[in-house]
Amino acid sequence: MQELDDYIDKVKNLPTAPKILPELLALLEAEDVDSERVVRLIAVDPALTANVLRLCNSAMLAGASPVGDLQEAVTRLGFKQIFQIVAATVGSQALNPAQTGYGINRGELWKHSVTSAVAAQLLAQRSGENQTAVFTATLLHDIGKIVLTEAVEQVYAKLLEDVKDEQTTLLDAEKRLLGVQHAEVGGRLLARWKFPASIVSAVWHHHHPAAAQPHEKLAAHVYLGNMVAYFIGHGYGHQAFAMSGRVEALDLTGIDAATLPHLMIETLEQLKTVEKLFNVT
Amino acid sequence: MPSPTLAGFEHKVVVGIAELAVSNNQNVTLTTYSLGSCLGISIYDPVVKAGGLLHIMLPDSTIDAGKAAAHPAMFVDTGVPALFRAAYQLKAEKHRVVICVAGGAQIMDNSGFFNIGARNFDALSKLFGEHSLKIHADQVGGLVNRTMHLNLATGQVRLKVSGQNQETILCKSLTTT
Repeated sequence: MQELDDYIDKVKNLPTAPKILPELLALLEAEDVDSERVVRLIAVDPALTANVLRLCNSAMLAGASPVGDLQEAVTRLGFKQIFQIVAATVGSQALNPAQTGYGINRGELWKHSVTSAVAAQLLAQRSGENQTAVFTATLLHDIGKIVLTEAVEQVYAKLLEDVKDEQTTLLDAEKRLLGVQHAEVGGRLLARWKFPASIVSAVWHHHHPAAAQPHEKLAAHVYLGNMVAYFIGHGYGHQAFAMSGRVEALDLTGIDAATLPHLMIETLEQLKTVEKLFNVT
Repeated sequence: MPSPTLAGFEHKVVVGIAELAVSNNQNVTLTTYSLGSCLGISIYDPVVKAGGLLHIMLPDSTIDAGKAAAHPAMFVDTGVPALFRAAYQLKAEKHRVVICVAGGAQIMDNSGFFNIGARNFDALSKLFGEHSLKIHADQVGGLVNRTMHLNLATGQVRLKVSGQNQETILCKSLTTT
């Protein structure tokens, strides 16, 4: 744990903790969601408020009258979509920059994250898993890469050699060369940011969902969402496909392998409708 | 020394996922990004200087007939015939076209449950075999995401691997311009 914290503490430009996300998640967990508290929470941050209103209006159907304030936005779009817009605004700030150590250009990690989250949420619609939790965990699953990118840059020649010659996964190569890997660093970072244990665990184990017990089902959604994003080509960087196949993720989410192609098609279609909303280019 | 090109007029046309494009405009370069487990298939007839690029996502259209009708370029079995038909409209001929293929990346999995990249290439190889079509050059499989470019003046096909800076040439220029 200390090693994870050391890496996190070393990062110079870590984004500020997105405190609003865990707080919003907690509010939305309630049976009777208090919309005034949701509005108050978002309104604390004027830049976020402006962005939420702008994105709400771009999400509206053409011809609908524009949303004027947050309360109206919440009423018209509903909590789930407002939460996604807030998550997208906060998430893109952290995930949009280039991650040079991993060979990821500006905008690519964000595109990968959104694609993964869309795929995982579509999967959750089939499985009945909590869609907001699945969306959040999957959107943030690679947050550890922003912590490790500098360290990876120092060792990446060796890392790529390991992957090529020994057919080892990127995750194992990171662990061997740095002592830590991006999934556990990401999980630890989200724990420090006070995200719920389920999301922390799903991110921590997103390459090995069975290890996320008792949150293995959530982790399996993240795993498959991530994989679908790679399949449809929204996964970037050095040897990006060097990840293990985890058949148990299918059992945990209750789908069979024949469903994956359908999930790819649905993800591609869904992306076309949300690209603007999530500022994906 | 290479002959001067009209670089100022070069026009990039992006072929999206599950799309195809053909052209005989010498200023056009067809580009497709995001080849993960998908396949990029280029064809080029150096005599009429016409060709096309296809970005298929899945091997078999029978999983969704509706999608195949709306987006034939999504699947190998409907996309490849659509690509050739479109190129024939530009006077390309089957016996002259040079075919290149890239993509079909695979995660590290022995179970076979997640081998969509390999299934795509198997379906393509089978289809080409049935029609006596030969692949001139390919870079298929592996662990990387690729971008593919087809230059319509020359037939040159270039590949860019995500994470690497330099491009590789999959097919050198076929024409002298």
